[in-house]
Amino acid sequence: MALILTGLSHQCAELELLELLAAAPAASVLGKLKSAGWERVTVLSTCNRFEIYAEVEPEAAAGRLDELEAFAGKLAGVDLKGKLYRKRDAQAVEHLFAVASGLDSMVIGEGEILGQVKQAYEAALGMRLTGKVMNVLWQRALYVGKLVRSQTAIAAGHTSAAGVAVELAEKIFGDLSQCRVLIIGAGSMAETAAKYFLSEKVAQLYVANRTFDKAVLLAARFKAQAVRWDSLTEMLAHVDVVLSSTGADTAVLKREQVEIAMSRRQGRSLFIIDIAMPRDVEESVHGLEHVYLYTLEDLKEIVDGQLQQRRREQMKAERLVKARAEEFFKWLDAARDGVRADLKHGLDGAGRRLAE
Amino acid sequence: MEVLLIKIGFALLSASVVLSFAYLFSRNENFSLWMWYVLGVGIAAHAAAFVVRVEAFWAIAENRYYFPINSFFGALCYLGWAMMVIFWLVEGKHRLHVLGAFVLPWAWISIGAGLRYADPSVSGLVPALQSYWINIHPVILMTSYAAFANAFGVGLALLIQERQIKSRRPSALCYRLPAIEELDNLNYRIISFAFPVLTVGIFMGGVWAYNAWGRFWGWDAKETWALVTWLIYVVYLHMRLFAGWRGRKTVYVSMAGFAAVVFTFYGVNFLSELHGYLSGGGGIR
Repeated sequence: MALILTGLSHQCAELELLELLAAAPAASVLGKLKSAGWERVTVLSTCNRFEIYAEVEPEAAAGRLDELEAFAGKLAGVDLKGKLYRKRDAQAVEHLFAVASGLDSMVIGEGEILGQVKQAYEAALGMRLTGKVMNVLWQRALYVGKLVRSQTAIAAGHTSAAGVAVELAEKIFGDLSQCRVLIIGAGSMAETAAKYFLSEKVAQLYVANRTFDKAVLLAARFKAQAVRWDSLTEMLAHVDVVLSSTGADTAVLKREQVEIAMSRRQGRSLFIIDIAMPRDVEESVHGLEHVYLYTLEDLKEIVDGQLQQRRREQMKAERLVKARAEEFFKWLDAARDGVRADLKHGLDGAGRRLAE
Repeated sequence: MEVLLIKIGFALLSASVVLSFAYLFSRNENFSLWMWYVLGVGIAAHAAAFVVRVEAFWAIAENRYYFPINSFFGALCYLGWAMMVIFWLVEGKHRLHVLGAFVLPWAWISIGAGLRYADPSVSGLVPALQSYWINIHPVILMTSYAAFANAFGVGLALLIQERQIKSRRPSALCYRLPAIEELDNLNYRIISFAFPVLTVGIFMGGVWAYNAWGRFWGWDAKETWALVTWLIYVVYLHMRLFAGWRGRKTVYVSMAGFAAVVFTFYGVNFLSELHGYLSGGGGIR
């Protein structure tokens, strides 16, 4: 048997082709493949990629790849001949492992792809389209994806400003479940951040807006409490994290205001995140004891740093993926010859050296 | 035998220090888990060494049944051991992994200095020390010192973390250190355990002094410095409890307190007439 793979991803030149196929529902594609006579086939379809993996007879592999290409073309409604990447055997295995590890993702190391690989496998499994080799291959891909993330720093840190903000809050307050968060202003950034903090189950979320009705509207959506604009200073003394994103031209939070609030806080830290442009919070506020003011630029710079760090880990992750793909292929060879061979979980010699 | 056991314990402690630094500079949680286990064995080795020491100590008739804490060697080993135990318990409860790198070096210095510079042989207690008070007064005080050493390590970690977050460009270290507020609370909790112990220890010293020398307090250098230490921690607790201060500035005060502890324990032996036992004198009246 041979393993073949064809597809396209965000790495390909023609993104409009990707749009035709991306996020196509795997179940219906699998259904069409099944009725076209495919027996061992899996479809990985996300916003950024569309890939078909199949197990075929070795002699027929090239022809079967052409068939898959034609099938994808029909699905997209355009001729895709020569537009898709095609991989066989060891290369296909390595590709799948790299994809599962987040090495082929837009944001390197991102975790969502692992869940998508799992869904792709389960969809094919549910339709009895996998078989022994495919079962081991896809379960192995999930295992390698987890292994790479735990043995390298490829998935370390956060890649969004909101994620970094939440992590910093945790490095100031520890357990966020005791923390109160105040959102000043409205807008998509404020909402994203609010969602992030809510997912950490903060004690209470407050929303303030110059127009009280707007605050009430936003508060209703997030189970938050709306507060009046003129009580901002009082709120500063009460909350732990402030996230400001108004469209105001001048500073919304002035040093004197924060100073007054701090004198009532009994030395408890205050974390202020200013994501507004122009800025909402006077820079000199950061100079106050126990106050930590971060701007959107600060958060973005931290995100960049995290991504750079991930990229530095890329080589290590790629070596790990390659070693695991070779190991899988040896197992496949042995299975073909009818020899019993075991795939090891955990680290063998090569893996251990890489991890160190 | 005793020295061998202490050397084994010291080797295990050294390994724990290395493991705690390995955790600080890597991302591997296993390091700190191993640190905890290795340290546990090290604590046991020191406890065994202590049993051997007590046996040798009690072989001298006038020492029976007193605590072998009358020499630098015995005192430093006990101090280091108490630091290890307190850290081991704090780490076991709070799992703030990274603190090992800030706390264990103090135990390492203490026991290392004992092994390197102090005479491990046991000797007869001078008559002034042949009192059951030797089982109470110095042991209680050294336990509080060990706790203060732990608080010092926690305070150091707090200062670093505060600086990291204030810099707006936190390094990888920031993500491995516990949160500022957690460190602040822990610093406070350890000191609020150690302070009453210190108070009782000093008071017991006064009672002993009354029994032995006929006065409760005599402004001996050790007594004076113990009072200085005590007052510094009073200031810390006052700042925390009544003045609404937290964080960096209170930590500076607690660190000054620890400096006073170190001086009271070590430096004063060469100044004090009455408390110079560890450096071979003392008890002269």
